[in-house]
Amino acid sequence: MEFTNTKNGNALVVKVTGRMDAITAPEFDGQCKNWIETGDTKVVVDLSELEYISSAGLRSILAAAKKLKGAKGEMLFAGLSGMVEEVFNVSGFAAMFSIYKTIDEALAG
Amino acid sequence: MNKRHGLAFKLAALILSCTFVIVAAIVGYNYYYSRDIILRQAEESSRNLAQDTAGRIDSVLITVQKVADNIAFSLENATLTKDEILELNKRVLANNPEIYGMAIAFEPYFLEADKLFFAPYYYKSGGRIAFSMLGNPAYRYFYMDWYQIPKELERPVWTEPYHDDGGGGVLMATYSVPFFRTIGGERVFAGVVTADISLDWLEEMLERIRVYNTGFAFLLSRQGTFIAHPDPTLVINQTVFTLAEELDSPRLRSIGQKMLAGENSFVPMDGIFNDAEQYLFYTGLKHGGWSLGILFPKNEMMADVQRLSNIMTLIGIAGFIILALLIIYIARKITNPLGKLSDSALEIASGNLDIMLPEITSSDEVGDLTNSFRVMKTSLKEYIENLTTTTAAKERIESELRIAHDIQMSILPKLFPAFPERPEFDVFASIEPAKEVGGDLYDFFFVDDTHFCFLLGDVSGKGVPAAFFMAVTKTLLKVVCEKGLDPGQVLTKVNSDLAAENDSCMFVTLFLAIMDIETGETQYANAGHNPPIYLPCGGKPEWIPPLGEPVAGVMEDMEYSTKTMTLNCGDIIFIYTDGVTEAMNPEKELYSDQRLMDLLIDTDKPFAPELVKTIDDSIKVFTRGAEQSDDITMLAMQFCGKCDK
Repeated sequence: MEFTNTKNGNALVVKVTGRMDAITAPEFDGQCKNWIETGDTKVVVDLSELEYISSAGLRSILAAAKKLKGAKGEMLFAGLSGMVEEVFNVSGFAAMFSIYKTIDEALAG
Repeated sequence: MNKRHGLAFKLAALILSCTFVIVAAIVGYNYYYSRDIILRQAEESSRNLAQDTAGRIDSVLITVQKVADNIAFSLENATLTKDEILELNKRVLANNPEIYGMAIAFEPYFLEADKLFFAPYYYKSGGRIAFSMLGNPAYRYFYMDWYQIPKELERPVWTEPYHDDGGGGVLMATYSVPFFRTIGGERVFAGVVTADISLDWLEEMLERIRVYNTGFAFLLSRQGTFIAHPDPTLVINQTVFTLAEELDSPRLRSIGQKMLAGENSFVPMDGIFNDAEQYLFYTGLKHGGWSLGILFPKNEMMADVQRLSNIMTLIGIAGFIILALLIIYIARKITNPLGKLSDSALEIASGNLDIMLPEITSSDEVGDLTNSFRVMKTSLKEYIENLTTTTAAKERIESELRIAHDIQMSILPKLFPAFPERPEFDVFASIEPAKEVGGDLYDFFFVDDTHFCFLLGDVSGKGVPAAFFMAVTKTLLKVVCEKGLDPGQVLTKVNSDLAAENDSCMFVTLFLAIMDIETGETQYANAGHNPPIYLPCGGKPEWIPPLGEPVAGVMEDMEYSTKTMTLNCGDIIFIYTDGVTEAMNPEKELYSDQRLMDLLIDTDKPFAPELVKTIDDSIKVFTRGAEQSDDITMLAMQFCGKCDK
């Protein structure tokens, strides 16, 4: 799993590439810690390149979102497709989080 | 085969071979250099010795010559009477010790017309001066060489050495000077003055020349005859050329020719007189045409060099041995501790970490090595102790995990058929746990006489936390279900209980259904679980549409809705976790929803237990033994109603 961070205005756009499962999920936690330390509390997560997400991955996202919320920030999602989008729908994550079709929409919203 | 040599051997071999070469070079160079010096000195000293000897012989000869010349000169005065001549002869002999004998021989009938012979001869005999008048019919002196040759040549000559039978009876050489008188204005040969020298004193003089032990001097006449030589048989009897003939030595002949030509030189004379190597120095004398030779035995000349070289060689060998012993001692001193260390290392390698290392106190590299070794041993010991402790702890944890896993599995109903006395339905479930403890759960039980609850869930993550969460969820679910609530209410209640104190963000997806086993009416609720499949008996299987309601345990204030569907005879609801659709083969491909659905479409007239087994087999065929990363959990609920199975 790889992360590409781009600063866009006051938001940090994080592009996640690869697979997010029990083995790689802790990396997401670590990244989240960095964001809070550097003060990037508005995070747009671009999942367009994410191939696979497991329940452990979902849990990491939950934990990260919770931390960001604690730091008075928020986590937005964009670019969901295929299996990932299905998982988000099935698990109700789509209802819990703000989901946007594109990054631009997420930044605008 | 490579023979194994120790460090000591290699060190000694290397240093000693270098030393050997150096010592050999020194001894060799010294030998040749000193030999050159000795040779030069020998040549120099032999030259000096020969010239000195030649000088002394010459001085004798010149004295004799002068005396004879003077007498010859005075005899040219015709006024001398017979008595005066005799007196002169006697006085001269008495005054010149070098002269053995002297004769004044006149031509026949010259001094006195009536006398054929007139040749007074004075000579030394027994310390006194003896007299004899030469000449009688048997000894006609004017035919002798000493008389004839100067007469014919009209100049003084030295005769070849000869044994004089007529005079003193000794070995001698004679210097003869012709004298003349003027008669009637004409210069006429009058006679000869001779001066003899005994060769005995020459012999004695040369004998005094001692060259080392066996070296000697010799004298050659003008003709090459040996005048003096330590071997008396050679004297007079042999010339250098007859000797060369006898010895078959052309080299000696050529040396003899050079000697007679009056040259001087220092030449090797290897193996001419005997097997020993020799050097010869020869030089010509000023008078008489004689030449002097001195022979030097080479081995005696070189004795000093030889002795010096021998001593140096001995010192070299002694030094060599001492050096060898020293090197071996030092090398042993180094390699012995190394050997001990090596033994200790082997012992340590075999697992004995309590071995005492050899006590090495030297403050060199070997000491450092020993210290490093000691540190290594201690570290290794500590490390192994740590490892043992850690391994023990890890094993304990693993064993506890295994027990936890067993307990977790044991709380799931496993006895099938679960309700053999109830023909209205058939329920079958299976769980294939992954290696690591997971959080899948399922359960089924009667809520009341006609309502049967069945559920399946998946706790996020793995390990002990997931196992705990799963156990809590399962317990909560059962308790809440028994209160007679509908599925949506059950999930709402369970969710709020789970979310209340959930800091770890764990969550569980749940599908829960309650079926009226008499009518087939089924109420269900879904908390973020992947959609189950509805398999109508004889119809096309389809997914039960997801409600888009979130997973349980995250948000406290959630309301879950309840949906209702009615099952007909033989219809099945198949619930599974994502372990089924996300099972992976070695190529990391997912089993996928599509593959599952295709399999279910192809399966006709399924029964609950067979359905689960078919799917399980299909997954196993697909994964081909690849390691399972998630629990694979399935539950099939078949409604039979009052129809036959």
